[in-house]
Amino acid sequence: MAETDLGASGHDTHQHAGTAPMVEEVTDFEVLEIALRELAIEKGLFTAEDHRRYTEHVEQLEPAAGSRFVAKAWLDPEFRRLALDDAIAASREMGVDWLHPTGFGTPSDFTAFELLEDTPTVHHVIVCTLCSCYPRPMLGMSPEWYRTPNYRRRIVRWPRQVLAEFGLYLSEDVEVRVEDSNSKHRFMVLPVRPDGTEGWSEEQLAEIVTRDCLIGVALPKPGVTSDAVRPLHPAIRPVTSD
Amino acid sequence: MTVVGNSVMGDLSSQLRVALHRVQDWTYPDQLDHDTFQAYMKTPHDVGGEPDAPALFEDKEEEEWELNTFVTCEVLGWRGIWTSEERRRIGNVDLGRTNYLGLPYYGRWLWAIARCLVDKRHITLGELIERVSEVRKRYAEGSGGPIDAAPRMTGNIDGVARNRHHLDAIGMGDPQCFAGTAGAPSFSVGDAVVVRELPTIFYTRTQEYLRGASGTIAKVSYESLAPEDEAFDREDQQAEWFYIVRFRMADLWEAYTGCATDTLQAEISERWLQPAV
Repeated sequence: MAETDLGASGHDTHQHAGTAPMVEEVTDFEVLEIALRELAIEKGLFTAEDHRRYTEHVEQLEPAAGSRFVAKAWLDPEFRRLALDDAIAASREMGVDWLHPTGFGTPSDFTAFELLEDTPTVHHVIVCTLCSCYPRPMLGMSPEWYRTPNYRRRIVRWPRQVLAEFGLYLSEDVEVRVEDSNSKHRFMVLPVRPDGTEGWSEEQLAEIVTRDCLIGVALPKPGVTSDAVRPLHPAIRPVTSD
Repeated sequence: MTVVGNSVMGDLSSQLRVALHRVQDWTYPDQLDHDTFQAYMKTPHDVGGEPDAPALFEDKEEEEWELNTFVTCEVLGWRGIWTSEERRRIGNVDLGRTNYLGLPYYGRWLWAIARCLVDKRHITLGELIERVSEVRKRYAEGSGGPIDAAPRMTGNIDGVARNRHHLDAIGMGDPQCFAGTAGAPSFSVGDAVVVRELPTIFYTRTQEYLRGASGTIAKVSYESLAPEDEAFDREDQQAEWFYIVRFRMADLWEAYTGCATDTLQAEISERWLQPAV
C-alpha cells in the first residue's frame, strides 16, 4: 500500500495518489482540521483515544444493517410489528444499539427511529431539507447526493420528477409521501416485498434491499443487488481502510 | 480522467440572467421593504422548494480530513462541548448564504468546530491562527510525512466547561432524556393544525415552505428542547412536544405537478403549531 503509481491510481488529475507516503502539498481543510484537533486534545476537550474509538464506531457502520432489518421484517410478522411500533427496540434485537457509542446515542443521530411502511398505494422517500439528517446507525454515512442542496430543494416539491431521475417511475394510484426529517426522528423506508421472492431466505432478501431502497429512491427487485452506479468524484487523499 | 457528470450545471450561458447590480452597497433603512428584509433574514440551510435544475446525482469518495472532521464534531458532542444542534446552527446558518453554498459540506463542519472553540473560549483566535500557520509550515518542505495531528501534550480534561446534557442523557438517549418534562401534549393524532408564521431570526428548524400551511397531526413524537433553544445551548429552557404533521403537497405548492393524493410529513415543535379554525 505504501508504493503508489500515480498513473494507475485513478487520481491522475491530482498531484497526489491516495496513499502517497510523502506529502508535498496540504489543503487548507487538512491544515485547519489538524490544527483544531491538536488544540482540542491539548486543551483537554477530548482525548486522542476518544477520537480513535469514535472513528472505529463510524467505520463499522454500513447499510447492510438496514437491509437485514427489512428482510427480517418481511419474514417475521412479530418482528415487523415491533419494528413499526418501536424501531429502536427492534434495532436492538438485531444487534444495532442506538445508544452506542456514547451511552446516549451518537450526538447527531439522536435515538428516535421510525420505520416508514410502504404499501401498494403509498411510497415513502426521505430527505432532510435543512441539513442531511440520516439514520447513520442503520445505514452508515449518507451518500453525497443526499446532502446536496439540489436533492434537498427539489424532492419536496417535484418528488415524482426527482424519483424518475433515479429511474423510479410511480403510477398515479401510488401516493408519494416525502418525509422531511427536519427534527430528531430518523427514518428508513420499509419497502413492499416484491413478487418473485417467495421462499427466499433472509440473506437472499437482504441482498435486494439496497441503500437506495431504504432511502426510497429505488424499489427492491429480484436480481438487483446493488445501487445504480453513479459517477464517483475522487478524493485527493481518501479515507484508508487500514 | 476527470469525472464531468454534472456538465449541464457548468453550462454558464444557459444560466445567464439579467442582472441588476447595485453599485451602492450601503442600504438606507427606508430602502428595505419587508420582503427584502425577510430574504436577508432567511436561514440559508432552509432550501426546500427553491427552484433548481436537474443534476446528475453523484457519489463522492471521502477525504481523510472529512472523516476526521465528522468524528471531531461527534466527539465534541460526546464530551459535552456542544450539542449537534449548536453545530448545525453554526455550520449551516451562521456562516451566511455565500459561504453556505460555496464551501464543501465538511468544510462547513470544520468551520463550525473553529467557531465553537473560539466562541466558547476553549481556545483564543490567536492560538488558532498560530497553529494553522505552524501546521502549514510543518508540511511546506515536503518533510512532514503522513498528514496527522501531533498534539504537544494531553490536556487536563477536568476544569473544561461542559454541558449537562452529555451526562444527563446517558442510559436514556436523546430525546428520551426529556420525557415527562413538557406536560400534556396540546394536540392528538388527527387534529387539524396550521403552522404559525413566526418571523425568522437567527435559527429555526421549521421550514419556510411549511409556514402558514394547514396539515394533520400524524404522530405525537416526543418531548425535547426546541431547536431555537438547543442551538444556543439553552439547557435551562422548558422542553416541549413535537409532532409529525402531514401536509397535502397541493396545499404546500401552487401548481403542484404531482398527484392530488401526494403528501409530505415534517416534525414540528409545539410552539410553531396552532389549531386550524
